[in-house]
Amino acid sequence: MDMSTTNENTTPDFLQDKGLTFKKVRANFWALFIDVFMWSYTILVSWKIIYEKIILGLRFPEFSWNQPLIALGAGAVVAIALHMTKLSIGRACMGLMKRDENKPIFREPFMAFGLVIIILTFIAGLFLSQVSIREFLSASGLIGAKRIFTALFNPNFNIIADATFAAVETIYMAFIATAFSLPFAFILAFFAARNLMSGSPLTMTIYSLVRFVLNVSRSIEPLVWAIIFSVWVGIGPFAGMLALMLHSVSSLSKLYSEQIENISEGPIEAMTATGAHPVQVIWYGVVPQIVLPYLSYTIYRWDINVRMATVIGLVGGGGIGTMLMQYQGLAKWNEVGLLVIVIAVIVWVMDYLSSQIREAIK
Amino acid sequence: MFKVENLNKVYPNGTHALKDVTFDVQAGEFLVVIGLSGSGKSTMLRCLNRLHEPTTGRILFEGEDVTHVKGKTLRNVRSRIGMIFQHFNLIPRRTVLTNVLSGTLARTGVINSILGIYNEEDKKKAMDYIRIVGLEGKENVRADNLSGGQQQRVAIARALMQNPKVLLCDEPVASLDPATSHSVMQYLKKVNEELGVTIICNLHFLSLVRQYASRVIALKGGKLIYEGKPLDIDENWFKTIYGEEAVEVTID
Repeated sequence: MDMSTTNENTTPDFLQDKGLTFKKVRANFWALFIDVFMWSYTILVSWKIIYEKIILGLRFPEFSWNQPLIALGAGAVVAIALHMTKLSIGRACMGLMKRDENKPIFREPFMAFGLVIIILTFIAGLFLSQVSIREFLSASGLIGAKRIFTALFNPNFNIIADATFAAVETIYMAFIATAFSLPFAFILAFFAARNLMSGSPLTMTIYSLVRFVLNVSRSIEPLVWAIIFSVWVGIGPFAGMLALMLHSVSSLSKLYSEQIENISEGPIEAMTATGAHPVQVIWYGVVPQIVLPYLSYTIYRWDINVRMATVIGLVGGGGIGTMLMQYQGLAKWNEVGLLVIVIAVIVWVMDYLSSQIREAIK
Repeated sequence: MFKVENLNKVYPNGTHALKDVTFDVQAGEFLVVIGLSGSGKSTMLRCLNRLHEPTTGRILFEGEDVTHVKGKTLRNVRSRIGMIFQHFNLIPRRTVLTNVLSGTLARTGVINSILGIYNEEDKKKAMDYIRIVGLEGKENVRADNLSGGQQQRVAIARALMQNPKVLLCDEPVASLDPATSHSVMQYLKKVNEELGVTIICNLHFLSLVRQYASRVIALKGGKLIYEGKPLDIDENWFKTIYGEEAVEVTID
């Protein structure tokens, strides 16, 4: 039932005002913050890239921490000076700018400023990633490329037995990583679901903590975990498996918990109303709503893990990735060619199977 | 059956949904609660089986104060009160039989219910109720593949599995078409008359109220403003309850 339809408004007026003022102050703060950032960025990029690199033509311009600080100071001055004009991106973003809704948005001055920032970023990007047509088309480079491509297209089928074995190792490693991550993710997901945990301050604390840990562990790439674990348990499939498992736990927990957050409250309410025990309420009211989506996510995860296992092999996580790494180090391009083919086939087959299965159980 | 005294409910956001509501429910009656959306009908029903916590006041159920009971006692109280909902609230992707059997969860052990083990007596009873609500042969159909009216009948069968003393119905026909509405109301009437289950039902259509209710109470802005026989709701009362602008819509 929608309570907002009641006529009486029981919230006292001053409370609403206070909340409103706070929101307004916060919006203005962020608007100014965005403006200062935008202007400082513009100044810094113009200085370091446009002026020093392009106009002065310096190959390695000197860098000191004073430069960003000066840019920040100058940016702040400009931002404050222009904050109330139509050039303020911050006020536009926070919805504080009164503008004529009928005028097309791209004719607003702040959009022009935005465009300038994007163009500056593009130019800076070209310089920083050292994009060079000359290198790309240099004679020696083209000869090297031709050598590699010829070798890759003439794969050495003598090592196919070894390659297949390594590929099987990779698939199993990904499977075990997924399987081991399942129970952890299953349990953690309940603690990371806002709708189940919003009951009391204690559960909300657990929720925030679990979410934080999951976010941190997810933001560290499996590649990095693989390096850590290869020191811990030694180079090989086990290290790769542990890295994949850790990452799978955090990814799956997040997907699972989002699924829990999306379930309909109806069956839960109905089960509670029958006088069922909380465990029964979860088993009958929650589980039937999540089990198929869970299965689908898990199969997808296995698919992702097989792909990642290949990459992880490059840093010593075992399987076909490690094999690829070894042949690449020896510059045996014919063998590398075969491995690339084997990897492509596995990835394609896994992708196809997992999408078919996910479609079937929808 | 129920004795409600000075019931108040204030939601955490400050909405005062129920204001000093006092009324009695006699065993065996078909009590209908009317009022606009947002008048507090659903809140009141959910306070009775404690899906919502009352803020102040007292609720007596069969002479027992249930206002603040917790844990096992609360579950025991709930198990004696059946409930059906506007959106049926069946378990999706599960069969009709499983849904009906879920009405016995309060007396089936936790382990048994997880393994899906129910006693033979309950299984037989479930089949009986499925037949009574006219869904024989649909026991193994997925509940979400049924039509709205059929789903609501599954929900009635599920509630009956609890052997309830009273059945709370939260706008049971609000998402059904007129013909189906009548069929569902007929089943509720049958449950009321033949099984002697007390019914407390939120309804929108006065024509249904006149046809099925034995007594009516009306809520407006969280206050109880009318209590009486369904046929005594005349033009004046109608305007008081629903506002001056309202025009009665009938359903037949």
